[in-house]
Amino acid sequence: MAVQCWEALLKSSKKTALIHDGKRKIHYLFADGKEMAEEYDLTSDDLIVRKWRSKNPLGAPGQWQIEIGEPVAALASVDSEMIKENFSNPIFLRQDTKTTFQWRIRNLPYPKEVFSVSVEPSERCCVVKTSNKKYYKKFGIPDLDRCQLPLDCSVLTFTHANNTLIISYKKPKEILTLEHELLRELKKLKGTGEGDADCKTQ
Amino acid sequence: MSTTKVPEVRDITRIERIGAHSHIRGLGLDDALEPRQVSQGMVGQLASRRAAGVILEMIRDGHIAGRAVLIAGQPGTGKTAIAMGMAQALGTDTPFTALAGSEIFSLEMSKTEALSQAFRKAMGVRIKEETEIIEGEVVEIQIDRPATGTGAKVGKLTLKTTEMETIYDLGNKMIESLSKEKVQAGDVITIDKATGKISKLGRSFTRARDYDAMGAQTQFVQCPEGELQKRKEVVHTVSLHEIDVINSRTQGFLALFSGDTGEIKSEVREQINAKVSEWREEGKAEIIPGVLFIDEVHMLDMECFSFLNRALESDLSPVLIMATNRGITRIRGTNYQSPHGIPIDLLDRLLIIATSPYSEKETRQILKIRCEEEDVEMSEEAHTVLTRIGMETSLRYAIQLISTAGLVCRKRRGTEVQVEDIKRVYSLFLDEARSSQYMKEYQDSFLFNETRESAVDAHKLFKLPDGLRIEIHNDRLVLI
Repeated sequence: MAVQCWEALLKSSKKTALIHDGKRKIHYLFADGKEMAEEYDLTSDDLIVRKWRSKNPLGAPGQWQIEIGEPVAALASVDSEMIKENFSNPIFLRQDTKTTFQWRIRNLPYPKEVFSVSVEPSERCCVVKTSNKKYYKKFGIPDLDRCQLPLDCSVLTFTHANNTLIISYKKPKEILTLEHELLRELKKLKGTGEGDADCKTQ
Repeated sequence: MSTTKVPEVRDITRIERIGAHSHIRGLGLDDALEPRQVSQGMVGQLASRRAAGVILEMIRDGHIAGRAVLIAGQPGTGKTAIAMGMAQALGTDTPFTALAGSEIFSLEMSKTEALSQAFRKAMGVRIKEETEIIEGEVVEIQIDRPATGTGAKVGKLTLKTTEMETIYDLGNKMIESLSKEKVQAGDVITIDKATGKISKLGRSFTRARDYDAMGAQTQFVQCPEGELQKRKEVVHTVSLHEIDVINSRTQGFLALFSGDTGEIKSEVREQINAKVSEWREEGKAEIIPGVLFIDEVHMLDMECFSFLNRALESDLSPVLIMATNRGITRIRGTNYQSPHGIPIDLLDRLLIIATSPYSEKETRQILKIRCEEEDVEMSEEAHTVLTRIGMETSLRYAIQLISTAGLVCRKRRGTEVQVEDIKRVYSLFLDEARSSQYMKEYQDSFLFNETRESAVDAHKLFKLPDGLRIEIHNDRLVLI
């Protein structure tokens, strides 16, 4: 099954581990040139950051795409000439817990009745809508896509508090076991301590 | 009472500068490749334009690699103009690289490297790439200029789709391009996030009832649906050289210290060639052979010519167009004489297009086109005088007199350039023949110490057009 495919891919990738700043940082380099980086909290073992980078077809390295974690504020210097979203706009980010995939959308000062969240199993994505037509977002769940697991409408819930919409999707048991295994493997990786690590990509 | 002049505010649409060939918009051929006498800024040179049109078809076809064309003719007969016309006719999607023969001589780079880079700049690859675009209807656009008049402008743009609304902060460059495109509330636009390119799709249907003054070509479109930011596949053309540069850069943090690419290793090029042909077989990319134009090709030396011989044999080589104004002359870097200063073995591979000097009528026509291009009004008589000057001296000199005469005319508050203005600038600025004659005379006879007879001599010497004569006033030669 597809869960095994993804597991095998993870196993075959070149991994570099580093413990720094109270976080276990792992860098994966896949055979097709894609890179993935993860950061786990040392004490709670929570996944804080997961990001991806790949080369564009012409061979130029791309930017890091953040899948999980706080978006890094882009340095103003380069992009200031162009266009960027105003700080008052909703900020969308994913922040998982041990048992759920969780998304937080900040800066949404509307009452809870305005929002509707649904799952579109055919398009493999979740949709957030607002009845006042202020916010709309379609997002996929890459973890489920990678393992080719179906999306389930019944395990999605959402709450609204402090101008933040929190959407939770209960992780299926396949994912839970996979993540558990992965973490155990990662802990076995000999992480270099503080200081420069020998990174295979450079 | 003094009036203070208010500086004009004109930062919205910048006026394009006028170059030597900016009046040329194409080759001026009809569908059957028959040249029109006057069209798209081109005048005369019918045979050469027709020949260039045939070459153009070959380039558009794209099947034949590594052909070379030489445009040969006297100075000022429109060789560069024909090349520019070809570039214009090909459009922006076909790569056209122009360089002068002397440009390749540099201390930083070997001649052959400069030539290979030029060759690869002239080869395009059309490839699909995913980019992030913002597509929405403009709700509000707000640009604040600082009160002092200088400093960065601040702007905000509110865009919406049928489902959502977002406010964006605008940078300086974005503000400029938005005002250049004259984007206003109600327009449906797309913005390429990476390049900042803005394209107007039309006006939103919800604004259709507004009694705005609108052009006939204004299109009404639906307000976009869904999310504002979308990933879209776009096809764009990059040159082989650009791919080379991307892949030859030192990876990792070392890239920070090596800004310039310098010479590109031949292994990198081979790798890229292999990759590109792989993409082509898979249907991911399409190769677009372009044009490399080398002006003043006699400035190249023997090594470059033998490199060209070799480079033209590659199947990834563009169509090469060269131009020269030399006759039988020494090949640079050897002691051999050869036609056009190009070795016979290379000449043998070339198709040669000849240009011939312009007739009086054609010169007149060209000057007229230039007058329009430079926005100078000229009276019929002045035009005739200028045409005479153009025939007697050179077309380039006559063209240069247009804008100067225009200035003289404006200074005397005239609206139309008269014969006097032409006479004035003709006396102010020497042409090449008069200047060299003057130098010769000055050297052996000290013209100014003589009396009135020298003015008569000068008249003969300077080959003045009819109606102009030279007299001496206060020890100075004056053109009347």
